[in-house]
Amino acid sequence: MTTTPTTPAAPAGLTPEEQAFVARLRAPITSGNWLRDLNPINTFVLVACLAVVAFALPGFVPSLAVCLAYVVLAALAGVGRRFASTFAKLFLVVGGILFALRAVFLDAGERLLVLGPFTVSTGGLLQALEFSLLVMALCGALTLFFTMTPMKNLMLALEARGVRPTVTYVILASFQAITDLGKSSTTVMNAQRSRGIETEGSLLTRLRSFGPILAPVFLTAMNQTEERALSLDARAFSYSKKHTQLSTLRAVPAGEVALVALAVALATAAVIGRFVL
Amino acid sequence: MSLVSLHDVGFTYAYADRPALREVTLEIEPGLLYGVVGANGSGKSTLCSVLRGVIPHFHPGELTGAASIHGTDLLDWDPGELSRSVGYVFQNPFTQISGIKETVFEEIALGLENLRTDPAEIVERVLEVIDRVGIRHLMTKNPNELSGGQRQLVAFAAIVAMDADFVVIDEPTSQLDPETSEKVFSIIAGLKERGTSIVLVEHKIDLMAEYADRLIVMSRGRVLEEGPTREVLVSPSLDEAEVLRPEVTDLALALERRGDPLPRVPITRAEARELLAPRLEEAPDAHRTH
Repeated sequence: MTTTPTTPAAPAGLTPEEQAFVARLRAPITSGNWLRDLNPINTFVLVACLAVVAFALPGFVPSLAVCLAYVVLAALAGVGRRFASTFAKLFLVVGGILFALRAVFLDAGERLLVLGPFTVSTGGLLQALEFSLLVMALCGALTLFFTMTPMKNLMLALEARGVRPTVTYVILASFQAITDLGKSSTTVMNAQRSRGIETEGSLLTRLRSFGPILAPVFLTAMNQTEERALSLDARAFSYSKKHTQLSTLRAVPAGEVALVALAVALATAAVIGRFVL
Repeated sequence: MSLVSLHDVGFTYAYADRPALREVTLEIEPGLLYGVVGANGSGKSTLCSVLRGVIPHFHPGELTGAASIHGTDLLDWDPGELSRSVGYVFQNPFTQISGIKETVFEEIALGLENLRTDPAEIVERVLEVIDRVGIRHLMTKNPNELSGGQRQLVAFAAIVAMDADFVVIDEPTSQLDPETSEKVFSIIAGLKERGTSIVLVEHKIDLMAEYADRLIVMSRGRVLEEGPTREVLVSPSLDEAEVLRPEVTDLALALERRGDPLPRVPITRAEARELLAPRLEEAPDAHRTH
């Protein structure tokens, strides 16, 4: 005999939007996109496998292919524009600097240009391309993972695997602290400006105005840490028994396990092919 | 049995020169609202920390005397268990939000999750509390983007949801506008009606006169007086503690000194209106002659 799962009745007096919100809370978390609905740990394993393949296979082509794969995956996950924007900035700043440094200091193969201590050569350019693309493949894996995965889902997945709530809290709160520090520094900056301190203008002026901001911002943050710890304690955060979760991740389907297993097998094969055989 | 029993309790914060609390002896009885009044630095917040068990479990320092909550010595309490039994609402609304939840609903649910409440029950409890506190319109909002007053209401809702039978509330309206302060006091009144025992630190003496069953007067770390609100509000200990009386009480005492006393000393405006009504009827234009 089969039983049909019953949905709890919607609470009375809620607007349709509020009812939908409560219904979403009661159901496992879903974004409606199969890639973003992967278990965060599995998403991490998948992007890590791609990075390992880029690292294991020789030449710049695998790294380039992996970087392109990230863009395709991000598009399929519905976060293409956000990922492309961040990744492009990384490419230009980190990739560009790494490429330039390698290209002018490595002297290998045919010399194309010599400028004092700097030499641009064909071998140097090739190695610079290979190295910077490999670094971008590694950076891209992390960028894609954090673009695709809400922090809340990651923490739920980690707690489901036995990570203590204290640890997940510290991670989540650290990310929130960055936002809070930004807001706090804006407030202090406005206060300093109202007292006549120059905060705009040349780079030197901006740097000079930064000093008086740091102390109040960090002292406030430190004060607030103690109060925040107390208020967490008031919410029974230190209660020793295992906590329950209002939001849950969906169960991992067999297909997802197979996909992860395939990715791990391919990455392992790439490593064995390169370093063992 | 008393909810909290303090006998000759003193506390000196680590690295402090002087004790923040001295020779405090108090019995907090269940089902009552105790108001704590005193000038800044008189030890009100430290007393709250002892009553909630934050001292000595969180703040280091030297605790002397005997303190027990629900008959168990303060030192024997597990901090996690204590948070289940005693709720605590703080002064600063900006540090009472966990910073890790995306909606007000989930923020309020945090304490219940920590107490191992079944998720289905969490939803019911949070919905009930959200309506009780009057913040349904905030339910889906990000708690990190709320105003100070809204955050304080959410902090209250979070503690109310945990359903502790004893709540310590430390200056909840000090950073709030009058309208939100009224809301906070109506929540406190609601808690009192449901039989929750409350210790409330608050500077707004008019509101204390209206809501508190008993008052604790503090000065320089000592309890100068503890007793029924009406008795304490007319006692000289308030002058010693540099705490202002409600205006209507001051007016009645001034009339008494002039030899023209009211039938009794009012402590709330409503009571004063009632006591002054016959005089106003007798001489409706009397106030115009002076």
